[in-house]
Amino acid sequence: MEPLQIGILLVTATLLVFSIGIPVAFGLGVIALVFLFIFEGIGMSRVVADTFFAGLEEFTIVSIPMFIVMGIAVASSPAGKDLYSALDRWLNRVPGGLVVSNLGACALFAALSGSSPATCAAIGKMGIPEMRARGYPKEISAGTIAAGGTLGILIPPSITMIVYGISTETSIGQLFMAGIFPGLMLTGLFMVWAIFKTWMTNKDKNLSTVEFKNFTWKERFEILPRIAPFLLVVAGVLYVLYGGIATPSEASGVGAFFCLVLVAVIYKIYNPVKIWKIIKESMKESTMILMIIAASYLFSFTLSNLYITQSVAELMTSLEVNRWVLMFMINIFLLVAGFFLPPVAIIVMTAPILLPIIEAAGFDPVWFAVILTINMEIGLITPPVGLNLYVIKGISPDITLPEILRGSFPFMLCMVLGIVILCIFPEIATWLPQYLFSK
Amino acid sequence: MDFYIKSVHRISLLCGTVATILLCLAILVIMDMVIERYVFNLSTSWQTEFVIYSLAGGTFIGCPYVLLKKGHVNVELLPHYLGYNGKLVLALMSSFLSLLFCSTIFYLSVHWWYDAYANNHTTGTIWNAYLWKLHFSLPLGMFIMILQYIADILSLITKREMPFPEAVLEENIS
Repeated sequence: MEPLQIGILLVTATLLVFSIGIPVAFGLGVIALVFLFIFEGIGMSRVVADTFFAGLEEFTIVSIPMFIVMGIAVASSPAGKDLYSALDRWLNRVPGGLVVSNLGACALFAALSGSSPATCAAIGKMGIPEMRARGYPKEISAGTIAAGGTLGILIPPSITMIVYGISTETSIGQLFMAGIFPGLMLTGLFMVWAIFKTWMTNKDKNLSTVEFKNFTWKERFEILPRIAPFLLVVAGVLYVLYGGIATPSEASGVGAFFCLVLVAVIYKIYNPVKIWKIIKESMKESTMILMIIAASYLFSFTLSNLYITQSVAELMTSLEVNRWVLMFMINIFLLVAGFFLPPVAIIVMTAPILLPIIEAAGFDPVWFAVILTINMEIGLITPPVGLNLYVIKGISPDITLPEILRGSFPFMLCMVLGIVILCIFPEIATWLPQYLFSK
Repeated sequence: MDFYIKSVHRISLLCGTVATILLCLAILVIMDMVIERYVFNLSTSWQTEFVIYSLAGGTFIGCPYVLLKKGHVNVELLPHYLGYNGKLVLALMSSFLSLLFCSTIFYLSVHWWYDAYANNHTTGTIWNAYLWKLHFSLPLGMFIMILQYIADILSLITKREMPFPEAVLEENIS
């Protein structure tokens, strides 16, 4: 059988196995083993255990659990709530104030947590009831948080970017830096839409249904000491990373330690049981992600052994289509994959195949990481497997899925617009890493 | 059967505790490494590998706990549209396939681990730790995964557990 035929068979089998609801890690593993044994013979079994374990034998991988600890420490403590009220107090005068401050809170929280569902859950728990209480329609409230939450995987530190960095051997420091401006741009686009929509809603009804709350300067300043230390930790981690002072794993390890200490000191959570709970929850999430990475290592090993990776790359480069047509096709592919699979799984499965194609077509792999991440963000707020949609549904069971979708759809269009803008002006993503790392 | 399922659940819970301890240790050792390297300008020897292997070990040992808590992410698109019987069939199929994977990895990793043990393989670095100690987590974790999957399959067949239960949001700590 030709490598490409085996590839088609493998993709079909993978989709079939995933569709029965098998955990992604074991689905990838089963397919990898079955194809390896059928096409390469049982002799390959000698390297299987070693390859599976080797997926985790890398120091960069260490940063994944560490960033998860950082995120969960903030998400499950009152820090998320404080961050939210701080933004509300500072941004309440802006038209569409609360929606804008919710988006701001999501962006800031994204910088603290690196995970989309965590951002969605932490800000949404306070944001959605508050927005609804102040007269914002259900759709806007739910859509804002669903979309704002997706910023978690774009604004650094981002677990998705680390996984991309590991699978493609790209500098994680550069990837993080590349996410900053596109992240701010998307936040800006979201805010513009939110302000416009709120303005339209108020104009339509010819009366202001949305309440604006006033805060004194004292109220605005008194909350800062509680959130500033967390922001300082993240800023410190990023500074250390881009300065090349320490490795991502060291920086994130120290960040995780300080976030735990800050949660204990600022919120007086001295009970070791509660700190233990934070670490245990982090262990659960990191085990899930690291198992996918270990299994995908086996999966990539099979793809490469059966010459599928190389054949797809050769085929794509031999097509000689315009590079932008190629990029469009890749985007559509990622978008569709994003509808069904979680970001980490897509990246570990496709990045090693896509990277040679991207590089051959003359695209910057760091820039592509941003494009890929935004595609994954769209997948998080589109059915059937939009993780954020289900987080929102969990927070406010009375908002129906179609209502959440109606709210988040315009934000999805903002992301597509973001991708188009980034294609026209790739410098938005590449300028900062190039500037910082060329020094 | 109750005794078996309860015992396996207890072992998986213990796995969760061990994995959490390994994560705690990893954080502390990173702190130690950073302080030694950047504050005292000392070169570090064992810390990097210790962190890697404690987290890899934590992942394989923590795996049954995550399975018990239904924490392994999956695509629940098709199950979502099915009734109880359909869901049950899919849940059993998915459990059997996962069981097949875990058993294969368990079988192969026992050989791999024994090879490292019999030949006294070491990391070959300054730390020079014995690989059989560092690699033990894989066969151990996979063995408990087999036990946990058998418990899951029994629970599904005897209706002790619903197929594809709804996920629960974590409560905040205050």
